[in-house]
Amino acid sequence: MKIEIKNLKKRFNNNFILKDISLTIEKNKSTIILGQSGCGKSVLIKTIYQLFSFDSGNILYDGESEVDLDKFSMLFQYGALFDSLKISENIAFTDFINSKTNYNKKVISLMHDVGLNKSIFDRYPSEISGGMKKRVALARALYKNPEVIFLDEPTTGLDPINSDKINELILKVITKRKITAVTITHDIKSAIKTGDNYYFIHEGIIQDKGDCKKIFKTRNKVFKSFITGADIKQ
Amino acid sequence: MKFIENIGLIFLSLLSSLGKFILFIIFFFKYFFNPKFYFKNNIKYFINVFISSIPIIALTGIFSGMVLALQSYTGFSRFSAESAIPNIVVLTLTRELGPVLTGLMISARVGSSIAAEIATMRVTEQIDALKTLNTNYYNYLVTPRVLSLTLALPLFVTLVDFIGVMGGYIVSVHRLGFNDNLYLLNTIDFLSLNDYLSGIFKAFVFGFIISIVSCYCGLFSDKGAFGVGSATTNAVVISSILILSSNYFLTELFF
Repeated sequence: MKIEIKNLKKRFNNNFILKDISLTIEKNKSTIILGQSGCGKSVLIKTIYQLFSFDSGNILYDGESEVDLDKFSMLFQYGALFDSLKISENIAFTDFINSKTNYNKKVISLMHDVGLNKSIFDRYPSEISGGMKKRVALARALYKNPEVIFLDEPTTGLDPINSDKINELILKVITKRKITAVTITHDIKSAIKTGDNYYFIHEGIIQDKGDCKKIFKTRNKVFKSFITGADIKQ
Repeated sequence: MKFIENIGLIFLSLLSSLGKFILFIIFFFKYFFNPKFYFKNNIKYFINVFISSIPIIALTGIFSGMVLALQSYTGFSRFSAESAIPNIVVLTLTRELGPVLTGLMISARVGSSIAAEIATMRVTEQIDALKTLNTNYYNYLVTPRVLSLTLALPLFVTLVDFIGVMGGYIVSVHRLGFNDNLYLLNTIDFLSLNDYLSGIFKAFVFGFIISIVSCYCGLFSDKGAFGVGSATTNAVVISSILILSSNYFLTELFF
């Protein structure tokens, strides 16, 4: 699915978080949204997902303003797993709460795809590690076979080894399933590894965009400062 | 001038919260009659609330009945009206203390946990996750809680009434020297169905108040640990105040 965003503006109270965002998410490509913490990255993807409304602008999904949200899925920053449910029930959540019982096979297959051992099938989220939680959350996001997956800081809170593993896993999954991916991150290494093209947001506007493999060739000063970790000054 | 401005701001904020709360109740009823009804989830929640609250309810009932018998004796013995104690105990418990004390205890025990649980779900993005999984949080979170508490509170009140009367009986017979048969006979003879039903009606209303207020406070909490804390406090304080104030109007209704 191709998603086009034109002149998007979003504010909370009187504070504009997204000032004028225009970008295109290409079908079957991995788009990376980069930016500092608090620059509006999460707000942007939640607005695209229609979890938030917006003040002005346009979002077109394959040229239409309406979309079947069943085609979307999201991996949340900290997993957002339901504490009171077992891992299997988390993954097959919609089937589980609708009292369907024949989801075990699909869950085990997904757990295998994301590198989880089926010994945690009946465990609770509090009983597994942070890396495992991310994998469970990814399996849950993949359960409904989405066309578009939104990944909110998928490597947050993980050590470098686990971050690499999660990045590889994401890349493998989106390539194999031909999913359009939109990933939020502030980690350049992850962006280069998993992305096709990037958009850099600063103070509510797109400051730079381009090919992920050519990130270091950027001429944008603000983005350069972001990459090098220097203080960002306009 | 600044002072008046601040008062105006507080008033507007209260008005906005009230509007949001009324909208929340309207949406609750809208989705309540929506066919998406998670039966298993509702039953599970009801059983959980019911079983976990029984000890606290039993303690509330027995001590209320015991204290009521002792205090009534202190007053009534001054004008030789001790024989009215069984009547006073049963009437006070069924019409007043049973529903109000149960409401306040359940507000502290269950209301606070509802608010804390939902607020934590909000802070950890579980509410957003529900939306992305095509699950309406009114159906999944609010309905089971409101339904469970609204149905469970009358059962709790019945239990408190019964245990409270037994508490009064124990104190009156073993401490104050009443005749056991006479005490029970006076209690049963004096109690009318209307007394019991007025308490049960109050229980329905209080159950609804506690659950809807707690769900609202949880769902619209601020972010972070402070948000979860204040959601819990607000749920208990607001539902307690609403229980006490609505109790007056409900008593007027059955007066």
